[in-house]
Amino acid sequence: MNFQQVEILLVEDSSADAEMTLRTLKKRGIANSVEWVRDGVEAIDYLFCQETYAGRDNGLPKLVLLDLKMPRMDGLQVLERMKSDVRTRKVPVVMMTSSREEGDLIASYELGVNSYVVKPVDFDEFAVTVAQVGMYWLIANQAPG
Amino acid sequence: MKLELSRSLRLKLIGIVLLTTLAALLVALVAIIGYDLRSYHQSWISDVSTQAELLGQTTATAIAFDDPKVAKENIELLRLRPHVQAAAIYTARGALFATYRRPGEQGTFPKLPEADGMRIDGRNMVLYKRIVSGGEMLGTVYLRTDYEFYGRMLDYLGIALVVTIVAMLVALLMSTQLQRIVTGPILAIAGIAREVVEQGDFSRRAEKLSDDEVGVLVDSFNGMLAEIERRTGELEISNVELGREVAERSRAEQEILRLNAGLEDRVRERTAQLESANRELEAFSFSVSHDLRAPLRHIDGYAHMLQEDAAGQLDDGTRRYLDMIRDSARRMGTLIDELLAFSRLGRQSLERTAIDMNLLVEHTLHEVGGGRAGDARLRIAPLPPIHGDRMLLKQVWINLLSNAFKYSAKRGDAARVEVSGERDGAVARYRVHDNGVGFDMRYVDKLFGVFQRLHSQDEFEGTGVGLAIVQRIVSRHGGNVRAEGELGRGATFIFELPIAQAQATEDSA
Repeated sequence: MNFQQVEILLVEDSSADAEMTLRTLKKRGIANSVEWVRDGVEAIDYLFCQETYAGRDNGLPKLVLLDLKMPRMDGLQVLERMKSDVRTRKVPVVMMTSSREEGDLIASYELGVNSYVVKPVDFDEFAVTVAQVGMYWLIANQAPG
Repeated sequence: MKLELSRSLRLKLIGIVLLTTLAALLVALVAIIGYDLRSYHQSWISDVSTQAELLGQTTATAIAFDDPKVAKENIELLRLRPHVQAAAIYTARGALFATYRRPGEQGTFPKLPEADGMRIDGRNMVLYKRIVSGGEMLGTVYLRTDYEFYGRMLDYLGIALVVTIVAMLVALLMSTQLQRIVTGPILAIAGIAREVVEQGDFSRRAEKLSDDEVGVLVDSFNGMLAEIERRTGELEISNVELGREVAERSRAEQEILRLNAGLEDRVRERTAQLESANRELEAFSFSVSHDLRAPLRHIDGYAHMLQEDAAGQLDDGTRRYLDMIRDSARRMGTLIDELLAFSRLGRQSLERTAIDMNLLVEHTLHEVGGGRAGDARLRIAPLPPIHGDRMLLKQVWINLLSNAFKYSAKRGDAARVEVSGERDGAVARYRVHDNGVGFDMRYVDKLFGVFQRLHSQDEFEGTGVGLAIVQRIVSRHGGNVRAEGELGRGATFIFELPIAQAQATEDSA
């Protein structure tokens, strides 16, 4: 298995968005190790080392980039599970979504999201946003030990 | 009732007839009997007096000659008169001279004659009569006769009683039969009247049996019944009419109530439908806008990646194509963002606070690229304060000011943007004027429509949503917005907001 710690867990059902995000993070040299899962169920399996990730022992990611609208289990449900479990509560979660819906924003903050970012259509802006998020949470922000 | 009435009337009538008959009978009988008794009495007296006179004349000579034998013979002649009980002749000195007694008659003679006169003594009459001849009193005649007055009277009374009884019986019989002539019609009327009262049937009529007063009564009674029947009929008709009108009215009221209820239901239903449709429409527009953003981002993203990864292999034409692809994708993204903002406007509620409009405009200028507070092109006059939603009104200023700067930008340093306003009664009016390209007033109606533009995209960037947002925000505040413009000379946008009652009183206080 891979013993290297995963820095970012990217939860994204759109492969295009995932590819653009991964490319940006790699190109800007922000994250060396990004794990990409395609929906909420996979994300929970990964975080709690169960099902297909049962044998995983490389710890928790430093940051979770969470899409909101996903099949099976959506971002809010994943967020709720994470913030209500003592093991995952401290992991910063950034909601990355196309939704500007106020209800989603409020629900996310009520569930304890660390940041809420609307993905811009403009790729340049998108890249900047992704880079800023990565820079901030992985480098600038001081996480608890 | 009927029995008593008819009985009493009949009895009264019969009683009257009988009483009348009795009275008439009594008067007649008394008169007849009285007259008869009186004439009997007088004729009797006259008869007895004549007898005495005759006796006196015939015995006068015998007295004068003192011949009792002759006197006796003369007096004995009285036996021819059976009603004479006894007779006597007295001398002038008062001594009995001759006597006569009816056979079988007892009794004595008075010792001395009395004075001339007549006396009725029970069933007897006693008469004294002086015998006078040649002016000389010779003696006195004494006569005692039967006096049948009382017997005669008793006979009369008996007859009168019988006559009265018979007459009364006849009268009773006749009046019993004849009273029907009078009471019949009256009782008939009484019967009809009773039936009318008991049954309320005014169509009954009494039969006219005679042409007398009862006939008149029958006519009047029938006339009265006819009148009552007519009036009752009219009353019933009008009652029925009234009842019909009441029913009609109550039915109409029911109908109105039903219609009202139906109307309210329909209004409620339609409102619910409208609200639901509105919600669905907004949800739809939101989700469409939202779902459109992801592919646009991908188009732009992959075009960008292509530009980066294949930069060395692309000629200018291909690069321009890629730029166009990215421009279009981004513009579509902006359109969607504005559409989302516009859609959100309809849903979020207003949060009114007191707003210093001059301050708000200054804050706005930081977000509008075209100008700054110190910009020579910009003039801001004092603006009336207002109660309103700060975020939304800021959006109004952003849109109007950015338009003003955008459309006047080509004039360079000659460009002017003027912001002014004033209070006008219960309305606060604000004005944004620029001396830019302006617009043709013929198309003023299109200015505030969503995605309506008067300029091409190449001329001026924009989505055509800004003024629609302005109009929506202003109308949500209860105000209105309008535009004035002239092609090549500039445009003025004026919006008016009602001053809330609370604010108006605060200001005037």
